[in-house]
Amino acid sequence: MSEEEKRKGGIFKAVKEFVYGVAAHDSARFALKTRSSMEHLFILITMGDMLGVPILPPYYSLRLLPYVVPQISTWKRRMLREKDLTDALA
Amino acid sequence: MNAVVALIVGFVVAVIGYRFYASRVDARIIQADPKRATPATMYMDGVDFMPTSRNILFGYQFKSIAGAGPIIGPIIAIQWGWLPALLWILLGTFFIGWVQDYSSAMIAVRNEGASFGGLSYRFISPRARIILLSFIYFYLLLIVGAFGNVVVSTAINLKAAPMAWLFLTIAGILAGQMIYRWRKDILLTTALTVLITLIGIWAGTMAPSDKVLGESLANSRWLWAIAAFVFCYFAAVLPIWRFALPINYVAAYIVFLGLFFGVIGVLVLRPDFTLPAYTEFTIKIGPMWPIMFVTIACGAISGWHSVVSSSGTARQLESELDARPVGAGVMFVEMVLAIFALIIAGTIYASPAEYGAAVAKGPGGVFAAGVGKFLGALGLPIELGRSYGSVMMIVLAITIMQLVVRFMKVATSELLGDVSPIFKNAHVGTFVASILGMVLVLTGWWQYLWVLFGGANQLMASLALMLITAWLMSEGRSTTWVFYPMIFMFVTTVAALLYTSYSLLSKVLSGAVKGEALIGNTIMGIVGFFLVIAAFFLAVEAFKAFGRYKTLKAQPVSA
Repeated sequence: MSEEEKRKGGIFKAVKEFVYGVAAHDSARFALKTRSSMEHLFILITMGDMLGVPILPPYYSLRLLPYVVPQISTWKRRMLREKDLTDALA
Repeated sequence: MNAVVALIVGFVVAVIGYRFYASRVDARIIQADPKRATPATMYMDGVDFMPTSRNILFGYQFKSIAGAGPIIGPIIAIQWGWLPALLWILLGTFFIGWVQDYSSAMIAVRNEGASFGGLSYRFISPRARIILLSFIYFYLLLIVGAFGNVVVSTAINLKAAPMAWLFLTIAGILAGQMIYRWRKDILLTTALTVLITLIGIWAGTMAPSDKVLGESLANSRWLWAIAAFVFCYFAAVLPIWRFALPINYVAAYIVFLGLFFGVIGVLVLRPDFTLPAYTEFTIKIGPMWPIMFVTIACGAISGWHSVVSSSGTARQLESELDARPVGAGVMFVEMVLAIFALIIAGTIYASPAEYGAAVAKGPGGVFAAGVGKFLGALGLPIELGRSYGSVMMIVLAITIMQLVVRFMKVATSELLGDVSPIFKNAHVGTFVASILGMVLVLTGWWQYLWVLFGGANQLMASLALMLITAWLMSEGRSTTWVFYPMIFMFVTTVAALLYTSYSLLSKVLSGAVKGEALIGNTIMGIVGFFLVIAAFFLAVEAFKAFGRYKTLKAQPVSA
């Protein structure tokens, strides 16, 4: 690909990304937020012991543990991070 | 003066500000480093913290900050003359606006993506966090009132607007259904729903509200206020993908197509300013200082941007080097948008009297007339252009309004949930927020409401700058570029809020206002005083913190 084509491709890509940012980025973020809230609620119910909130008997938690391992660190961080009113705005 | 000159001056200021001033601050003071990990890369969770391309963030930031604010402010402020308004837009953005947007993002980037509550706790004091958050609640109430007023006055003055608004709502709901439920192609969905909205704009000119509903209903403030809050109610209680987001999605295309072609229309027509460059220092809404400086909020400096920059954008920046194009760059683009609004108000009326008559009915009519004229230069019939402008105005106001009502639902639940469990109910929370907003819309005089909103908005900006000053002091960095803008904004906005609240309450106490206006003026006056008191407490806390940092700096480092 020549430099000229690369430049044109770059500008086209930038415009495309800008339009996506204006129109759809918010929608994508909110969809992800909704999904992650549900997932994190599920992990809280099943793995609450890890945060000192035992909800489900440990027997079931341990059986589910292998499936949850990849998400544990993000989940803990999200649950324990300080949030305030402005988090709901952006 | 020709309006194109104003646009060119705007571009020159933007280039100098962005290429030299912002660049220098970014490199020398903040020392943005592409090798330093940002919160988005460190704490990537695919949701809040997610590295995102700077082009996407540019669009996201622009869409989040460019609501009705940068358009309405200049349309009202031109009453002092277009020159002071233009100067404030240019100088405000150059010295304060981008400084706040950019540094609000950087303070969060350098502090693990923390939001303002946590940051004020860390850098000022625990009490500062509580004061700041209660301040934000009342500030949001004023946003709902001011923007609700814009929606109502536009729906009354432009009879084509309600039909277009209805079609946009239908198109938005359809877009949500097509994208999330039927899994249809996004291009098809976009083309279809934007087309439906455009048909609605045309249908508005064919079936204006006075013909459909009758003269008295079409002119009823109650009807349109209820319509606006019912709209916001659905946006707040329905799943966000079903109503609020898809409507915003379709609306984004309508607004940005209109703005893009509107600016081209200005370049084609190249009109001269017909209103005077300067009228007088004191006009009906108050003296130029401090009132004009809060009337034009978003086009020069706005506290709302600091919330978007810190809680939204900062958690998505891939590299520290992206903070300047996204934080500062977008602010300069918004400055050009404010100049566009100023050109509309300053060039489309033959005389100040004609402008005065138009603006008295609400700024939406002025904006729609301007959009009609400039799109007309590209061949669109004037009536259709005016209808297009009216729906743009409603969209710009109501998209922010619905977000704020949704947010106030959460805030009501948080703040009053302990008082009674009923406030934790989503419907009750939304109802409380809607009723408070409706009272302001129906009983408050809109120009005062706008000034109060602007004052609260910019006071929020000065509080953000205060927080950033404390952070810079804690790190031993230069604070001049933030400290003096903060002082200027604090003094100006406190003066504006005191002046407006005093004017409102003195009218109430002297018995000059009666009936419905009594309620609106009283609430607005009290809210204004509350915001000033909260700001004073916060300032005391902040200056104590500044003192602590100075003492720490003065102490010799022990070996």
